[in-house]
Amino acid sequence: MNHAIISCLHANLPAVEAVLNDIDRQGIDTITCLGDLVGYGPQPNEVVELIRKRDIATCQGCWDEDIIDGLNACECSYPSQLAERRGHLAHQWTDDQLTDENKSFLASLPTSLRRDRLLFVHGSPNSQHEYLLPDMDAFAALERVETAGADILFCGHTHQPYVRELRDGSIRVRLQNADHDCDQGEELTLPMRKIVNAGSVGEPRHGSTNATYVIHNDTTDEIEIKEVPYDVGRTCQAIVEAGLPKVFAWRLSHGFEFAEQAEDASHVCER
Amino acid sequence: MIERWALVSGLRGDLETYDLIQRDLKKTRGVTALFVLGDLVGLERNCDALLDRLRNPHRGDLKPDCIYGWWEEQLLAERGFRGERKADALRLSQGEDAVSALLNTVNPSHLKWLASLQFGFIELDCALIHGSSSDVGDNLTSETSPLILLDRLTRLNVNRLFTARSTKQFHLELTGGGINSQVKDLNGKREQQQEVPKRSVIGIGAGLNYTLYDVGSDKTHFLTASSTTNPKGKGFA
Repeated sequence: MNHAIISCLHANLPAVEAVLNDIDRQGIDTITCLGDLVGYGPQPNEVVELIRKRDIATCQGCWDEDIIDGLNACECSYPSQLAERRGHLAHQWTDDQLTDENKSFLASLPTSLRRDRLLFVHGSPNSQHEYLLPDMDAFAALERVETAGADILFCGHTHQPYVRELRDGSIRVRLQNADHDCDQGEELTLPMRKIVNAGSVGEPRHGSTNATYVIHNDTTDEIEIKEVPYDVGRTCQAIVEAGLPKVFAWRLSHGFEFAEQAEDASHVCER
Repeated sequence: MIERWALVSGLRGDLETYDLIQRDLKKTRGVTALFVLGDLVGLERNCDALLDRLRNPHRGDLKPDCIYGWWEEQLLAERGFRGERKADALRLSQGEDAVSALLNTVNPSHLKWLASLQFGFIELDCALIHGSSSDVGDNLTSETSPLILLDRLTRLNVNRLFTARSTKQFHLELTGGGINSQVKDLNGKREQQQEVPKRSVIGIGAGLNYTLYDVGSDKTHFLTASSTTNPKGKGFA
């Protein structure tokens, strides 16, 4: 059976509507959302209410967490001082706009969802703030999936959709300790695992303005990355009219957040 | 020998043990640095005398460079040095009485100094941390999955991780292996092969059990401090 995974909606209602329509057209009933319903975009209440109305299983993203708990991300989560300032502005604006009911909904979201050997998180099993980038250290990537006890890890947060298969792994070790006269050597065979990043519905950063999401077939384990065009201009206009930083509209209209990608895949905010 | 480090942990207020180790080190050739990897304090005894000695070394002592460990983390959290966090891990594992006992073993005059201690040191290509790069309470042993050990090394981009949390002495080397990965995105597919880098995780022991590390030869020596003339120990290449 096919199920759809969406992530990083970022209060972009036209993009969310377009993606849900695309999923509906394919007759897919099961949708999982990996969080970041709000932040950057101009329609946080509308997006949260649509997800609630559709009763879509959702886990909490870093923006959802920060709106509830106060700004949690340290400055090193942002690639520049200006990016941090813009992020804080968007946080304050979103905090002012969201209704108490919608905030309660965001607060109620779990940090992960699990269906058998499928695990759904926003950033990584460690943190909503950790980036699992497509080319990060393969052993570290496998560790995230394996330690969480999953076969396939679905994540978002990077806004770049990808499917990464980790296979044919092994680690040879030699142990010496105070109690043994001889070295002990052994080899650990690593299991095959997958990381699937759903990209972003509301703020794509893969080089196109199209919203992205993924479809997974839980019988064949086939995964398809989907691109959906939507009315970017409508969202950009709403961003400007809301008084949010105009650069949010500019980068959305280019489909790439120039010079604002996180480079440190292993960074976890400790604040 | 270029340089030799002594690595100590788990003193937990035991000045006598620290004194024995200092005596051993005076008799040991070439030790240039003493790192105390946390757990300076504990429940068992009043810790003030040890803390005084660490902060104000005696003449002839090898000057210690200290970081904080799990017990300091619990103490500092309960004393309000960690924001809203309290000594929840200690409370959960040993109960309220243990938390109260811990508070009574350290004079508040030491708290600011304890709070100033770092999480770890990076020296050359080595990380010196109480637990691991993941958490001060990360309990790495020779039984821990090599995948997790490699992750902890990778997070810091170091070749050797010296850890103390487990209280065990071990030297686990990652000697080989690899992994293949395929990434598929909207631009197509690409294959990657990655080899296991030659890296090590070293458990340094606790209390009387400590470790010497020869930087130039990359040799680890597991020792036990004693009141006799020579420390008991065993060297490993």
